[in-house]
Amino acid sequence: MTQFDLELKQITKIYPGGTLAVEAFDLQVEKGEFLSFVGPSGCGKTTTLRMIAGLEDITSGELYIRGVNNTHIKAEKRPTATIFQNYAIYPHMTVRQNIEFGLKIRNLSASEIRQKTGNMIDLLDLGSVADAREHSLSGGQKQRVALARGLITEPEILLLDEPLGALDANLRRAIQDELKLLQRQLNITFVFVTHAQSEALGMGDRIVVMNAGRVEQIGKSEDIYFNPQTPFVSRFIGKNLLFEGKISGANGGIASIETPHGVLKAGMAGAGKISKGQQGLLSVPSEYIQFGKSKASGVNAITGHVKQANFVLNTVIIYMTLANGDVVKIDTHVDKVKGQDLNPGTVLNCYWSDKQGRIMLNETNNSGGA
Amino acid sequence: MDKVASLKWFLGIFTALFVLFLYGPFIVMGILSFQQGPEGGPQFPIIEWSTYWYQHVFGIAPPSRVAPLPIGEALFRSLSLAFATMVVSTVMGVLTAQAFRSQFRGSGVVFYSVILGMIVPGVLLGLGMALLANQLGIDRNWWSTAFVLHVVYTYPFAFLVMLAIFNRFDTSVEEASLSLGVSPARTFRKVTFPIIFPGVLSAMLFAFTLSYDEFPRTLFTGGSDVTMPLAIYGTFAVEIHPNLFAFGVLTTLFSFALLAIYGILLTVSTRRQRAKASGLQEDIS
Repeated sequence: MTQFDLELKQITKIYPGGTLAVEAFDLQVEKGEFLSFVGPSGCGKTTTLRMIAGLEDITSGELYIRGVNNTHIKAEKRPTATIFQNYAIYPHMTVRQNIEFGLKIRNLSASEIRQKTGNMIDLLDLGSVADAREHSLSGGQKQRVALARGLITEPEILLLDEPLGALDANLRRAIQDELKLLQRQLNITFVFVTHAQSEALGMGDRIVVMNAGRVEQIGKSEDIYFNPQTPFVSRFIGKNLLFEGKISGANGGIASIETPHGVLKAGMAGAGKISKGQQGLLSVPSEYIQFGKSKASGVNAITGHVKQANFVLNTVIIYMTLANGDVVKIDTHVDKVKGQDLNPGTVLNCYWSDKQGRIMLNETNNSGGA
Repeated sequence: MDKVASLKWFLGIFTALFVLFLYGPFIVMGILSFQQGPEGGPQFPIIEWSTYWYQHVFGIAPPSRVAPLPIGEALFRSLSLAFATMVVSTVMGVLTAQAFRSQFRGSGVVFYSVILGMIVPGVLLGLGMALLANQLGIDRNWWSTAFVLHVVYTYPFAFLVMLAIFNRFDTSVEEASLSLGVSPARTFRKVTFPIIFPGVLSAMLFAFTLSYDEFPRTLFTGGSDVTMPLAIYGTFAVEIHPNLFAFGVLTTLFSFALLAIYGILLTVSTRRQRAKASGLQEDIS
């Protein structure tokens, strides 16, 4: 049997007030994996992270770290370290003291502590601020101090709670890459919580999409992006065009859906659960949309007119009004619309292959995220 | 615009009056403490400026018909009582506030029963305590019954100060410490306490000063060995001489000195947090 670095079995959290924060969470994480939890605020991702850290009691279910049952182990006894969104740097200690803080309680000689602290300061390039205190550090430096302080205790799992949330956009991009590199280098399992899909999809080897205390989908980045399995994931992740309607056929993995804009076809999400007559949702990534008319067979086509088109750097966001007044948003690369008239009112024809996009059941009352 | 200007004037005058009433008595007392002695009385005009009454307080003035202030032992008692009260109330205040950081059953009841100690009129509490002590056959002393009441009185203040401090305390620094494998006890010593220390100083200052000039509770429960405020009050019964003012000035200066020490400690503790350590750059490898 494979030993997982982290295993959640039916982990559930109910707060004393009766609020269900996390429901029956099952997860297996292999050593060295970079796992992202993503979801809107209040979806239970941070609560799950805190349960793994031992900072929150587990109401029911079991938690294993490297095969050891940690369900009822106290936070300070768990082989995890947590990086907090606000970094939680100790203001009364220097950077060096912050970093060596977790080593002081272990049975190490002074020279070993010095050695390890020095290595960690080098690894995270904090030499120039080793004797500075929190108030004189930049956001990025604080972040690296928090990382160094957590990593020096050699945790089996590093838990990161929205660690990039307090940084500005440019820095965030740079630190994403650094973090990923560091994780590869150290080969430690990272569990990373964020509400930003770009961070989750950009860094995670696997991504867990959560909503309202439940896991919506677990998968690799491209899976989550191009093959959403639930209406929530379609709405929350990526830039999908969504069409609601009644399932008019489901056969051999291909389904068709009757929408106000005609019958559209696509592969089915969630094998075998879809049958004729049910309410369905078709989700098509903006990237697949082609402009113009196609005579090829096996395409879905819609027609409307341009309501508005906004160019943002190398992308363009087109709001297209369809015949029944519905507005769809197409977020695509500027190359795709070369030569296309995008003035408001212009008739716009779009098509995409019926092998692209996913049709899924639309019966759950998921509230769509942004 | 005019309305704003007149409002500014009104508030300005109001503030000036407030400051005047705050410092007026002290200034008058300060001036009169330099009255000529031993004949000069506790009123204007100043017959002649002198430091006679200060010498009188310290017992270095030539003997006269004015009896020396009975302050030596009383001062010692007041200071030791205030010190002990400060220590006990602050420790209890910190611990209670720590307990209140998480919800527990009956926390509301506990909160109000603690706060009651500073709300109940001192005279009532003093009288009640005296009756209780009599009933139980306990001797009333400044170091026993009065001490208990001083703690009952100052502990809520220390508690409230610490409650406010913990209110804006960021729990994640403690959680970070736990997640590094540090025990809760060590986390409190190494992380929590250094961060709340300025608040602890404030709580200490409150407890000390409140106890130092406490009157009604001590009056009933202090027994025959009086504290400073009672000793001063006792001299009113005979005749008031400017030596009282001289002592008042000295004791006020003492209070200012306490405030100054508090300020210095506060600055040092925050500077320790803020200061960029310089010249300590060590070779890493």
